[in-house]
Amino acid sequence: MLNALSPTSVVASRAFFPPLLAAGFLLLLVVLASLLYGAGPVSASDAMAALMANGTEEAWFVVTELRLPRTIIALITGLALGLAGALLQSMTRNPLAEPGLLGVSAGSGFAVALAILLGATTATLTTLSAQLGALAGCALVIAATRVQGLGNDPVRLVLAGATMTGLLLALTSMLMLMDQRAADEIRFWITGSVAGKPLSMLWATLPSITLALVLIAIVARPLAAMALGEKAAVGLGHHPGRIRFLITFTVALLVGSATALAGPLIFVGLVVPFIARAFSGPDIRKTLWLCVPVGPAVVLGADVLSRLIAAPAEMPLGVVTALIGAPVLLAIVRAGRMPSL
Amino acid sequence: MPDKRNTLVNTALLGLLVLATIISLATGTVQVSLFDTLRALAGHADPMTDFVINELRLSRVNAGLLSGAALAMAGCLMQTLARNRLATPGIIGIDNAATAFAVASVVGVGLSLAPSAMALAGAAAATAIAFGLAGANGTRGYRFIVAGIGIGAIAGAVTQVMLSRVAIDAANAAYPWTVGSLNARSGQSVLVLGIGLAAGYLVLMSLSRALNTLQFTDAVAIALGTRLKATRIIGLGLSVMLTGLAVSVCGPVGLIALLAPELARALCRPGKVPLTAAALAGASFMLVADLLGRTLFAPLEIPVGIITAIVGSPYLLWILLRPSPRSLT
Repeated sequence: MLNALSPTSVVASRAFFPPLLAAGFLLLLVVLASLLYGAGPVSASDAMAALMANGTEEAWFVVTELRLPRTIIALITGLALGLAGALLQSMTRNPLAEPGLLGVSAGSGFAVALAILLGATTATLTTLSAQLGALAGCALVIAATRVQGLGNDPVRLVLAGATMTGLLLALTSMLMLMDQRAADEIRFWITGSVAGKPLSMLWATLPSITLALVLIAIVARPLAAMALGEKAAVGLGHHPGRIRFLITFTVALLVGSATALAGPLIFVGLVVPFIARAFSGPDIRKTLWLCVPVGPAVVLGADVLSRLIAAPAEMPLGVVTALIGAPVLLAIVRAGRMPSL
Repeated sequence: MPDKRNTLVNTALLGLLVLATIISLATGTVQVSLFDTLRALAGHADPMTDFVINELRLSRVNAGLLSGAALAMAGCLMQTLARNRLATPGIIGIDNAATAFAVASVVGVGLSLAPSAMALAGAAAATAIAFGLAGANGTRGYRFIVAGIGIGAIAGAVTQVMLSRVAIDAANAAYPWTVGSLNARSGQSVLVLGIGLAAGYLVLMSLSRALNTLQFTDAVAIALGTRLKATRIIGLGLSVMLTGLAVSVCGPVGLIALLAPELARALCRPGKVPLTAAALAGASFMLVADLLGRTLFAPLEIPVGIITAIVGSPYLLWILLRPSPRSLT
C-alpha cells in the first residue's frame, strides 16, 4: 500500500495505453458483431463462413453489400460525434455541452429538412446544408456562452439548448406538413438511423471529416493549454480567439457530417467523452485519443442493439442512443457536485 | 378578500376568452358571421349553421378551453410549489411521460386502460422520478430540471418505439397527437378532464391562502399557520392530475403552462397566486394558437403544439439568456 503514495504509481493509475487498447479491442468485437448479426435470413454462422470466404453467395452479398456499408457509416458517425462532443465540452468548460443537447444537431437537421423541401437530392448538397446548419447552431451556442453568467452555468445553457431544439423541431415538423413527398424523406431520416444509407453519402462527407481531423491535430495542444485558463494560454503563446474560431468550425464540420450521414443523434456527444474522460483524466489530448475508439464503438454498439432488441424489425438508432444517453445525463447531474472542466 | 385589481384582470381575461371562443367557433372552412354564431349557440339558427357550430366546432373549442385552462393551472401551481418559474410540467418531462403512457394504451401493449387513466399514471411516474432524482436538493436549482429533460428524452424515445411498432396508418393517425393537437380528442377524455378541472379548481380555491404563504420561506409559511407538507402533497397531486388529464385530450402542448402563468403574474397584484387568471389566459392561448394553426396555412392544418412551440420558445430563450435573470432561484 505504501507504493500507492509514490509518484510513479500515481502516473500509473492514469495509465493511458491499457484503456486505449481495451477500447480498441472492444471496437473490434462490436464490428464483428455488426457484421454477424442483423435482420434477414443470414445467420451468424453463415455470415462467419462468408467472412472466411467460403460462405454462400447470399451470405456474401448480405455481409459485404448491406452490413459492411452500414457498419462503416456507423463508425464514421460515432467518430465525428464523439470528437465533436469532447471539443465542445473542453472549449465551453461544460460537461453537459453536447451538440445534440445544445441544438447544434437540431439546427443541422432543420437545414437538411429545408434543403430536402427545396428539392435537394444529391448527397453533397445535403452534407453542405447540414454543415451550414451546424455552423449556425455552433455560432449561437458560442454567442450564448458569451452572455454574462451563462458561460459558467452549465445547466442553464443546456436548458436553453433544449428550448432551441424544441423550437427547431417544431419548425421542422411544420416543413414536413407543407410537402408530403419531402415529409416521407425527412421522416425516414430524422429519427436517426444508419440503415440503408448509400456509400456515396460517405464519400461526400469524407473530405470534411479529414479536414476536421487535421484541424484537431493542430488545435489539440493550444486547447490543452486553454484548460489552464485563458491567461496561461496567452502566456504560452496561443491565441484563444483564433482557437475558439477553429474549434467552432471543426465542431460544425463534424456534427454536420454526422447529421448528414445518420440524422440528428442526440446524447452520443455526451456519452462518449464522459466514458473517455473517466479513463483519461483531465488532459484533453488523451481524451480525444480515447474518443477515437470509444465513439465508433458506442454508436455501432447502439446500432447492433437496435437490430437485436426489436428483431425481426428494427428500432431507430436515435431511440437507442437516447435510451442509453439519458441515464448518463441523469448520472452526471446526480453526481454530488457538478463536475467542472 | 377579493381585491379590485385582480377582479378587473380576471374580468378582462374572461372577456378575451369569450371573444376568442366566439371567433374560434365562427372561423373555419365554412365562415359563419359572429352574429349567426351567437344565434346558433342560443339555438335559433338554420339547421346547416347549427350543425357546423354545435356539432362540428363546439366540441373542439370545448376541448381546447378545458385543456388550456388545465395546463396553465398545473403550471402555475407547480411553479408556486417549486418556487421556480421554470418548473412547469412540460419542461420537467411530465407531458412526454404522460404521452408515452397514453400512446401505450392506444397502441395496446397488453393494457386496455383508457388513455386518461394511463396518462395520469405516466404523469405521476415522471413526477416521482424527477423528485427522486433531485433528492435532497428538492426542486431548488436546475438539477431538478435537467433530470426532467432526461426523463422527457427517455419518454419521447419510448413513444417513438411504440409508434414504430404499429401499423403505419395507426402511427400516422397518432402522429399529430404526439406533437400536441386538438384533432385526436375523444369525447370521454374531454368529459373526464372537465370533471377533474372543476374539482381541482374548487380544491385549489379552498387552498388559496396556504398557497399564497408558500411564496415566503418555509419558516414564515409555517409561522403563518400553513401545513406545508399537506399543502405541497395536495398541490403537486393536483398539478400532476391536471397535466395528465389535459395531455390525454390534446397531447403534449408545450409552453402554455409557462406562458399563461407568466402573463397572469405580470397582470395581477403581486403577492397572490393568480390561479384563476392563469387558467383564463391558458384557455385563451390554447384557442388562439389552435385558431392560428387552422387558418394560417389553410387548408393545411398545423397542430397546436407546433404553434405554441414556435411562439413560446423564443420567450423561454429570452428568460434563460437575459444577462441578469430576475428571480430564477
